[in-house]
Amino acid sequence: MLKPEEAQRPYTVTELANEIRRELRPLTALLLKGEVSGMKQGTRGHYSFAIRDGQSLINAFIYADDARRVTTLPEDGQVFIFRGRVDYWTQYGTIRFVADQVEFDEVGKLRARLEELKRRLEAQGAFAQERKRKLPFLPRSVAILTSPTGAVIHDLQETIWERYPNMGIVVYPVQVQGASAPMSVARALGRCNEERLADVIVLARGGGSFEEMYAFNTELVARAILDSRLPVVTALGHTSDRTVADLVGDAECRTPTEAGARVVPRKADLIAHLRERGRRVDREIAQRVSREVERLSHKRQRVLQLLPAMVRQRAERIARAASELLRLSPIAQVARREEALRDRTRRVESAAAARLSNSSSALASRRAESRLERALAERFAGATRALGHREQRIVALSPDGVLARGYSITQDAETGSVLRSANDTHVERRVRIRLGSGQIGARVDEVEP
Amino acid sequence: MSQDLTYEQALEKLDEQLKLLEDGNLSLEAALKAVDDARVYLKICTERLEAARKKIEVRGESEATTE
Repeated sequence: MLKPEEAQRPYTVTELANEIRRELRPLTALLLKGEVSGMKQGTRGHYSFAIRDGQSLINAFIYADDARRVTTLPEDGQVFIFRGRVDYWTQYGTIRFVADQVEFDEVGKLRARLEELKRRLEAQGAFAQERKRKLPFLPRSVAILTSPTGAVIHDLQETIWERYPNMGIVVYPVQVQGASAPMSVARALGRCNEERLADVIVLARGGGSFEEMYAFNTELVARAILDSRLPVVTALGHTSDRTVADLVGDAECRTPTEAGARVVPRKADLIAHLRERGRRVDREIAQRVSREVERLSHKRQRVLQLLPAMVRQRAERIARAASELLRLSPIAQVARREEALRDRTRRVESAAAARLSNSSSALASRRAESRLERALAERFAGATRALGHREQRIVALSPDGVLARGYSITQDAETGSVLRSANDTHVERRVRIRLGSGQIGARVDEVEP
Repeated sequence: MSQDLTYEQALEKLDEQLKLLEDGNLSLEAALKAVDDARVYLKICTERLEAARKKIEVRGESEATTE
């Protein structure tokens, strides 16, 4: 049991709080590294947040005055190195880390700069899909930018030649790590574009930590990739985040094998495709030809069907023309004229006319042409007979009949008047003497009245 | 002028001359002239007829050769 005088006098709260503050005083001007979370800006310009590592958390505070001085304001999720002291807020009973300086740690610094670079490039459209160059379907040669030693180059060659046995490969050895790496990569990219030995560039590295991959996050390399006229494929390994090179590159692969498959088609596939296409073309052509053959045979059949009709039509037309021609022909016209003559012939020579008409009617049953020709011949004969008949009549009617018995008639050659007396003419006068057959032209020699 | 006559015209003229002669009212001179004229027309008719016959024969031949 404690006696009252021995009993410890209790601390007042303030006393204890001050005691705690005093105890914490050595924890001043110290450096604290941790990730920021719960960043809040207070109304008086101060910031309050928490700093944590995997296991622990401590509240932190930046006074407005210090906040104005610090070069970088912490952001959630970022790791910083804070300088400051630990203080105990007696009023609220809380411990806080009061930071007066904020700095990135080495990696944090790089990451922050990287984020800034990404923002800038993105603002310039460097990551835009439409900016990216198209990979050639089948390059003449592939440029490989990588470390000359190591598995990467071996894997790439292997993959490319496995897919396309005689594909050209141009290797540009580059530093992929360390301070000189960005310049080395950028220069090699420039050379690729100048030399134009290849149609596509593979930028490869076997992965690594953030620091090891640093070169591929530099603006120098990013700009060199953006400036390349040849498409750039990145294959930087799968152990870290996407690099800026991945973002600005034209195609992004993880492994050398993937990149090899991306830049070079499989020759066997190409050949198979070509064969398949060849077969399709053959099939297409065969179908086309057979279609045409079918169409032609249709047409031929139609022609064969139409031909007799066409021939018949033409034959009919020719027949019509022939009959028209016959109707209009001089033969027919002569025939018509002969018709008139035949009338006269009938009148003069009824028996002959009757015979002619008989034969005409008999002929009428025969074919038109021969009928016509025969009729015509008949008519010619008839006409000739008619003319003969007329000649006989002329002879019969002419005074010449008397002459046959040895008389003659003498006419004046100019006037045609018959000389009945020697006084009708005189010497030197031309006369015509008609005899039983023919005439004599004569000159009067002597006149004896 | 008489050479320009067609067969029909010549035939008509021939018939005219024959009719004149048949009527028998002609003077001897006129009868002789009519006989002379009739002979001329007869000749023309015969020539025309002969020419037509020849024409038709030639035509028939050429038709045969073109077929």
